[in-house]
Amino acid sequence: MMLVIRGGRVVDPSQDLDGLRDIVVNDGLIHSILDADASKLYPDAQIIDASNLVVAPGFIDMHVHLREPGQTHKETVASGAAAAAAGGFTAVAAMPNTEPALDTPELISEVKRLAAAAGLARVYPIGAITKGRAGTELAPFWRLADAGAVAFSDDGATVADARVLRQAALYARDVPGPFISHCEDCCLKGDAVMNESLRSATLGLRGSPGLAEDIVVARDVLIAGDVGRPWHIAHVSTARSLALLRFARAQGIAVTCEVTPHHLLVSDDAFADFTATAKVNPPLRAQSDVAALLAGVRDGTIDAFATDHAPHTREEKALLLDDAPVGFTGLEIAVGAYAAALPDLPLLRFVGLLSTNPARILGVPGGSLAVGSVADITIFGERPWQVDVQRFYSGGKNTPFAGRTFARRAVMTIVGGRIIMRDGVVASDSPSLACKGALP
Amino acid sequence: MTEARRPASLLDLDDLSPAELLDLLARADDFTDNAQARELLRGVPVLNLFFEASTRTYTSFVLAQQRVGADIVTLPPGASSLGKGETIADTALTLAAMNIRVIVTRHPASGFPYRLAEAFAGHVINAGDGRHAHPTQALLDLMTLRREFGQIAGLRVAVVGDILHSRVARSNILGLRMLGAQVTLVGPPTLLPESMAVSGVRIVRSLEAVLPEVDALMLLRIQRERITSAVLPALADYARNYRIDARRLALLPAHAIVMHPGPYNRGVELTDDVFSSKSWRYAQQVAYGVAARMAVLDHLVNGKGQRA
Repeated sequence: MMLVIRGGRVVDPSQDLDGLRDIVVNDGLIHSILDADASKLYPDAQIIDASNLVVAPGFIDMHVHLREPGQTHKETVASGAAAAAAGGFTAVAAMPNTEPALDTPELISEVKRLAAAAGLARVYPIGAITKGRAGTELAPFWRLADAGAVAFSDDGATVADARVLRQAALYARDVPGPFISHCEDCCLKGDAVMNESLRSATLGLRGSPGLAEDIVVARDVLIAGDVGRPWHIAHVSTARSLALLRFARAQGIAVTCEVTPHHLLVSDDAFADFTATAKVNPPLRAQSDVAALLAGVRDGTIDAFATDHAPHTREEKALLLDDAPVGFTGLEIAVGAYAAALPDLPLLRFVGLLSTNPARILGVPGGSLAVGSVADITIFGERPWQVDVQRFYSGGKNTPFAGRTFARRAVMTIVGGRIIMRDGVVASDSPSLACKGALP
Repeated sequence: MTEARRPASLLDLDDLSPAELLDLLARADDFTDNAQARELLRGVPVLNLFFEASTRTYTSFVLAQQRVGADIVTLPPGASSLGKGETIADTALTLAAMNIRVIVTRHPASGFPYRLAEAFAGHVINAGDGRHAHPTQALLDLMTLRREFGQIAGLRVAVVGDILHSRVARSNILGLRMLGAQVTLVGPPTLLPESMAVSGVRIVRSLEAVLPEVDALMLLRIQRERITSAVLPALADYARNYRIDARRLALLPAHAIVMHPGPYNRGVELTDDVFSSKSWRYAQQVAYGVAARMAVLDHLVNGKGQRA
């Protein structure tokens, strides 16, 4: 089926393109980009009117938690993929902190099989760095990559032993895909429930200092430079982490980083009522860190927007702060929240952070509307909307943005030339993405 | 700020306006000076829900409840269904259905009484939550100061020791600031981070520098777990800088008083010299606790302007 996306403002950082164009999609691929009205050329094509909307290469959230296998009461690959499509994402990279952890080729394959069966978004599994994410024995990197792992991370279980991490990086030096570090020193963090600050001191809550992140960022970029393999720092949250990343790049170290919507919009002032609504790792930081992160996006230090989508049930999040799990759902608020944090960010940069850069960092298809690319497309616009968690496709309704009004949202998600989401509604009977645009 | 929402609770002193705080202190003075039993809460079911061991505070609350004529129910620590996985909201509903009107609660988690008050259709009194707040202790401390000096505005008060982990210190800092005292915090950086120097509060590391210019010293208990958790090296090292002994007592102005919320560690925060000093007010603090808690119960259940 041929599609013509007509009259939209096409924003594609991979071609440095920002202008009114028609896009023709055929057989799951970008067929052509035309200045003129393409619908006349292709009278049989399905026409999508994109006037007053932005047409971009499909958004890729390179940091989500889909909870399957093991914690399907929170989320499944299918519900997570639906949430992705609803939020305007054509692809997600799924962290391996499942139960069991994604540390075998069979488990990587299983996640891909579940994603293909759902047929709503591309799901790229991230393999573990150590077996069981226990920080001691190395995961079988080559075989994980063969099965489809696009990156490697022990995620929330920061590899504590620097020797183990260096050995892992050395062994896996030539395996495609970055190592992704969740940087938190477990000793400095202790059993903290929030950022260490005046706020934690006032509330009598245990705080984790920004130093807990900074120290591990410093260690990991040094290991990346020592070993010489691509590295990615997940969800930076402090001003000093950004300074360390700038230092590393000045040394020629190949390191990228991402930022979440919540770290750009919310500070630790959100801890007021002793509920776990604002409990997340790394914790919401001081206003000065929020300002530094916004500046880091503007000056290009930050490469990617990634939500760290972490669904939990209402009952779990209602527990006492000490007992409640960390994290927020992010896929369905991301476009609105990022735009709210940086309303003046040029669209070429906005799309780059959500699409072109994550595709490049992970080495996956997409991130481009160049002719011949997979037809993964996100159409978005300035359409004010209110966050209603009851309408989330995600199993998790836990977000500090509930009830908030955002200006921007995705109105259509196209994966492999197939319309998956239209006006917030995800196609329920999508066949699997077994077209040319789909990955093996 | 308390009238508009659900029945008033006392979770920390900032639930009160300065005027309400002064009214409570006056009410407590009255209960102390006129010690007959009263029927202010006759037939009102009050539940003591303590999740942490307590001697002073628990006993003081029960005495206060008896002296205002309340119907007292006490759950031993660990007996609550909350430990069996019942949510706070469900527990609160159950207790409200049994017509419990006041819950006095102590819990190791900062913020627990806030979560309880959110769900409970009655009054909640915080008898100590984690490291966060201990408003009735602060009340009896303020009462001690006021009875000693007449008023709190302008008083120079130094709080000494483990400020970071102390709910007593936090509530006292709040109350002292509300009533216009000059607050100085004294302790080592691991027990007193710079971030605690909020407006109206200064941090001084040297106790000797502070002693000659205070009207009152509030000492805090040092917990032994601070040593095993690498916060302090040894109690003797702490004592070198912060223990009140005869030499340091002599640096205090003649009119100054020394307070401690208890239980105190002899030889750590203070030496036996303190007990024989005319500055020592521990017994008064404990004694005022009953009246302070009677005043809180009366204030919450009967409201303002009903001074007995």
